[in-house]
Amino acid sequence: MKDVYSTGEAAKVCRVSQQTIIRCFDSGKLEGFYVPGSRFRRIPRENLMKFMKENNIPLSNLESGKKKVLVVDDEPELLDLLVDALERDGRFEVKTAGTGYDAGLLTQQFRPDLIVLDYMLPDINAGVVCRTIRANPSLAHTQIILISGIVEEDKVRDLYQMGVKAFMHKPFRIDDLLAKAAELLQV
Amino acid sequence: MAASSLKRRKVELLLDGVERLPTLPGVAQHLLALLVSAKSAPREIQQVLESDAALAARVLQLAVHFGHAPTPESITIQGLLRTVGLEEIAADLLSVDIVDAEVLRRGRLVRLWKHNLATAMAAQVVAARLGTVPPDQALLAGLLHDLGHVALPVLMPKAFGQVIERVEAGGADFLEVERELAGMDHAVLGKQLAQRWGFPEAIQNVIWLHHQANIPVEQSGAGPLIRVVRLADLIARQEGFGYHPSEQIRDNAQELAERLGLAGAQTEAIGQQVADAIGANIRAVGMEDEPTPGQLWRLVSAANRRLGGAYRAVSDQRREVQVQFRRADLLIRLNGRLADCHSSREVLETIAETACEVLGLRLVVPYLLARSYEYVEGVSATGEGGIEHHFLYEVSQSETLRTLLSEDVAPLGGVIGPVRAERVEAWLFERLGERLGAGPFYTVAMVVEGVKIGGIVFALAGGKKDTGPQETAELVALANLAGVALKRAQAEADLVALSEELAEANRELTAAQEARLQQRNVASLSEMAAGAAHEINNPLAVISGRAQQLLGPEQDAARRQMLESIVEQSDRISDIIGQLRRFARPPRPQPETVDPAALVRSVADDCRAELEGTPVTVTIEAHKAVPAVRVDPGQVAEALREVVRNGIEACARGGTCVTILVQPLAAEDAVRIAVVDDGPGMSPHVRARAFDPFYCGYEAGRHRGMGLPKAFRAVEANGGQMALESTPGQGTTVRITFPAAAEKPAP
Repeated sequence: MKDVYSTGEAAKVCRVSQQTIIRCFDSGKLEGFYVPGSRFRRIPRENLMKFMKENNIPLSNLESGKKKVLVVDDEPELLDLLVDALERDGRFEVKTAGTGYDAGLLTQQFRPDLIVLDYMLPDINAGVVCRTIRANPSLAHTQIILISGIVEEDKVRDLYQMGVKAFMHKPFRIDDLLAKAAELLQV
Repeated sequence: MAASSLKRRKVELLLDGVERLPTLPGVAQHLLALLVSAKSAPREIQQVLESDAALAARVLQLAVHFGHAPTPESITIQGLLRTVGLEEIAADLLSVDIVDAEVLRRGRLVRLWKHNLATAMAAQVVAARLGTVPPDQALLAGLLHDLGHVALPVLMPKAFGQVIERVEAGGADFLEVERELAGMDHAVLGKQLAQRWGFPEAIQNVIWLHHQANIPVEQSGAGPLIRVVRLADLIARQEGFGYHPSEQIRDNAQELAERLGLAGAQTEAIGQQVADAIGANIRAVGMEDEPTPGQLWRLVSAANRRLGGAYRAVSDQRREVQVQFRRADLLIRLNGRLADCHSSREVLETIAETACEVLGLRLVVPYLLARSYEYVEGVSATGEGGIEHHFLYEVSQSETLRTLLSEDVAPLGGVIGPVRAERVEAWLFERLGERLGAGPFYTVAMVVEGVKIGGIVFALAGGKKDTGPQETAELVALANLAGVALKRAQAEADLVALSEELAEANRELTAAQEARLQQRNVASLSEMAAGAAHEINNPLAVISGRAQQLLGPEQDAARRQMLESIVEQSDRISDIIGQLRRFARPPRPQPETVDPAALVRSVADDCRAELEGTPVTVTIEAHKAVPAVRVDPGQVAEALREVVRNGIEACARGGTCVTILVQPLAAEDAVRIAVVDDGPGMSPHVRARAFDPFYCGYEAGRHRGMGLPKAFRAVEANGGQMALESTPGQGTTVRITFPAAAEKPAP
């Protein structure tokens, strides 16, 4: 869980522009400090929470402090395993989808930070899912990890072009997956 | 007795040599006059033959000689003339014999002839009245009844003279005296002669038995004829036409006639009838005439001329027959020999040899024009040396072809005679030149179905300058036969070529089918592997993942080990599936230009590292100048590693070294890498399946039988070929071949 936020991060949590945060910081409505020897503003977690409460900003983004992960796979057992592993880690808020269609819907609502995507979906090709996500500017921050039993190396290369950031071969090391997710989400 | 049997034997031997009996000079004169006359006179000739025993016997003899076995109905002069033909008989009678004048006189032959004539005439009348035998047959039998009597004075004039003397001296029986002095009587002699000449038995019996009152039972079939002649004989004697007055007449004609069913008075009437008519007959045939030697000479000369003409006609015919025979012989022999020829070369040789041999040619050069009109195949043979030279000339130049297929091919009513060869077959003289010897040369085309397929060039023997019509016909026949045989040989060769082509096509088809089957196997394997990867890797991921979760907080060492094992084995399954997938669908090569020797050295180094502690060695024998190859170095190195590892494993089971040979294959512009081990080798069964995935000849082990199959696929994917050769007890050799690269490898 983060203790200190930059103005950009605070803007994201409050869903306002960075300029607004800076203005409130400079006017004293949002308390914080400068990084010593520089002009970078930093806001401690409790100050941000107080600011959000005073201004009736929903705390949902801040309260968990967790990264949102959407796991897409048609294999329920595997979904269970992944949900179990990600939740136990504690840094992730997890939702699941069994088809590409569900994945599309949930992405719009849930706006995940990370999608763990199975290559072989029963309805839509994983490549199509990737392209759809990349075509939506409001999902620019969403990272994608592909997991698959079979994809050949040359196909993986194509998928990297479409914004896939990592590829994991089934069966995989759970620790490796978690490490990769944390790395991509900077948690 | 001994003396008489010796005499009899002498007579028998004498009879063996008798071909014909002579006739009277007067009859001969009359007959020859009829025969040499420009006008044909069949009726007159028939009259002469019906009056003269010697001539009648000759005609019957001819009939037998020509194979016209006379039937009872045709045993008449007219019947014989019909069956043998007047021409044949006339030609034979031209050489009629004439009785010696002395014999004629001493033998009283004119009387004998008259007796025979009278008997014949009487027999004819008797037969007509009795109706038991055909009258004309009775006439012939009557005429011939004393054949022995006609022969005796001619064959044995001295003995016959003695017989006459003895009989005239008084009282002696004619037949007995004949038997005593001549060795046999005229009845037996006549019968023996008739037997030798193959006369019908009825006639033989008449000659033999006409003096006997009682006819033996076995000859009873001839009874009626014998009795008729016997009665006629008696009637003739009664009318004064006996041979000799001293001849005893034991029988009474009237008695005999009555026994036969004729009234006694009838015999007299018959006798009278004969007596009235005989004079005219005698005169008509000139029986009593005595021609002068000059007259006879003229007639005989004329007959000789006629005979000469007949002989010439016959010898012309014979020559024609000989020619035809020679041609038939040539064709039959050639045909027989050609039947054994199965190639055009054999046919050409046979034609050349047979033509030299049978036609007596000096030189024979048969040639065959290839159907492509590209070359001429031929052979030259000489009468002296046989086959001398085979040749095969290109004739594709249009000029040569034009003359080869020149207008001389045009069939002239189906027959193309030989033409002078020097112009038409100029190509041959240009090439064979002096080998051919002196001309003139001729050529005859071999034409089959209107198309010239070759020819026969030849030169005559013995300085002959021209072919006669006979040789022309023979050569044309030869060329026709040769043409057909060559066509057949070509067809046979085509058939062989066709079957070879078919076999080749079949082999290619089989190989293609095998390759397709292999590809289909690989394709379905690939599909299966893809499906399996998806289906298996998902549950594997769950199994492995759950084990990992359990492993996290686990403190107990033993349980940790178990959980770790689950994770590891899951990875292993996944790895196997990955290998299978890579075999089915090898990754696309990234080719580079590579020095194969360097590649092999690096592979060998890798493999040697795995050899620590074993007695097996890996050596390289690389040719100095090996061209570069264009392959994916990683994939090929991995393939080579698998092959070398396979060799090392084989050595572990009974061998000492793996040798890697790197050689250029200049002819194919390729590079060969051969991995040779001296291990135990493979059985044919193992060898056949060495490239099948998961097949392992020895105990199923670490390699899971994927090494060689993977290598095979990788080599193929990189444009190379891989083959395996192995014999139990003699090690295994894997040959990998890549095409040489155009460029040199980067240093």
